[in-house]
Amino acid sequence: MTPGPLRLTVNENATELNDVPSGERLLDTLRWRVGLKGTKDGCRTGGCGACTVLIDGKSSLSCLTLTHDVDGASVTTIEGVGADPVGAKVRAAFEAAGALQCGYCTPGFVMALTGLLKERGRAIPLAELLEDLGGNLCRCTGYVTIVRAATMAHAEAP
Amino acid sequence: MAAFDLVAPATPDEAIAVLHAGGSGEVLVLAGGTDLLFDLEGGRATPRRVLSLRRLPWATLDWNGTSLVIGSTLPLRALENDADVRARFPGLYAAVRAVGSVALRHRATLGGNLGRSAPSSDLVPILLALDAEVDLVGPHGERTLSVDRFVVGSRQTALGPGELIRSVCIPEPRPSAYLWQRVRPFHDISHMAVAVAYSRARTRWRVAVSGFPPRPLLVPEAEEALDGPTPSDHALGLAAEAVARHAPIVADQRASEEYRRQLVRPLLVRAIRAALTPPGAP
Repeated sequence: MTPGPLRLTVNENATELNDVPSGERLLDTLRWRVGLKGTKDGCRTGGCGACTVLIDGKSSLSCLTLTHDVDGASVTTIEGVGADPVGAKVRAAFEAAGALQCGYCTPGFVMALTGLLKERGRAIPLAELLEDLGGNLCRCTGYVTIVRAATMAHAEAP
Repeated sequence: MAAFDLVAPATPDEAIAVLHAGGSGEVLVLAGGTDLLFDLEGGRATPRRVLSLRRLPWATLDWNGTSLVIGSTLPLRALENDADVRARFPGLYAAVRAVGSVALRHRATLGGNLGRSAPSSDLVPILLALDAEVDLVGPHGERTLSVDRFVVGSRQTALGPGELIRSVCIPEPRPSAYLWQRVRPFHDISHMAVAVAYSRARTRWRVAVSGFPPRPLLVPEAEEALDGPTPSDHALGLAAEAVARHAPIVADQRASEEYRRQLVRPLLVRAIRAALTPPGAP
């Protein structure tokens, strides 16, 4: 059964979506209906963090979220994170630290780190910030440069 | 994923009516969805209807005297970020942080964790150790059950037809701790865990173990070995022996029984010591 239309604000754009099946995940809606492929489809079981987006400013796993269950919400993806001052700093830190190789995990890391720094800013101890990135997996950097980027973004957080 | 009808009523009465109208297995309850979506995607569950609790006024956190009342749909991250919870329930704080990742905890809820009742739940053991109670609402009114009575088995609870978890009440702050063993420290499933708490009111330790089927359990034999608020090393040794001997530990795909019985001893000793270490101390 396909429920009625739903409304999302995606990267500050009001978006109305029709014919979204009740079981569709936000990950698939973003990638295949809205056409934003920056949010990555990794494990689809909440294990890798590649699909992390912000829902009403809070980092969330779009693979474990039914689109209809966030009807009315504001969603920020990697494509729109640069419009957020914190997100822009995080993105710049990833660039400055060269914190990627293949890049598949990068959107998820940027969104997770942006969410954490928007939540508590510099008040979060660095060790806890790094622990809290534990839900995101990278298979190629060895994490060294990602930790460097997180450390830089933490130092510059409000 | 098979098609279903997704409904999100705004009042508890409507939600109960939706749940009660559907037969067994016909209606599934969606809280944060971080566990339920596995079953929906894998086809292990094919409900006709999914009842989302997102509009219900249960995302609350209240103090009632010394009791903490946690609304069933409060995201775990909100519980974790509350400074009083962290200071007064260190074991609960540690257990919440053991669940998934931050992004998962922004959606996952305490009610969902209890209602789904996984044998590896990181929250049930600390709720057992804190003598938490579950407030239920249903077509025949309200009732309260201890967590020990609520959690029946692996993926089995005492929820009756049409019943929903409204809140969880923790009666009093207690020195407490939650320690686990896993393959990866973060965002993994505990294959052995110990929760402990000391009740000053009842002058008794609580010891719960988890990580193996069918469900997290209290181990009274270990509790009885602990001789007061600051147990001696001798008593700690006896409690470690008792938990290893009497806990109904079994093997599953994550670990053998023998390994778990070895592991539970140091976990218990360390958990008691952690509970007795004031917050902020090294």
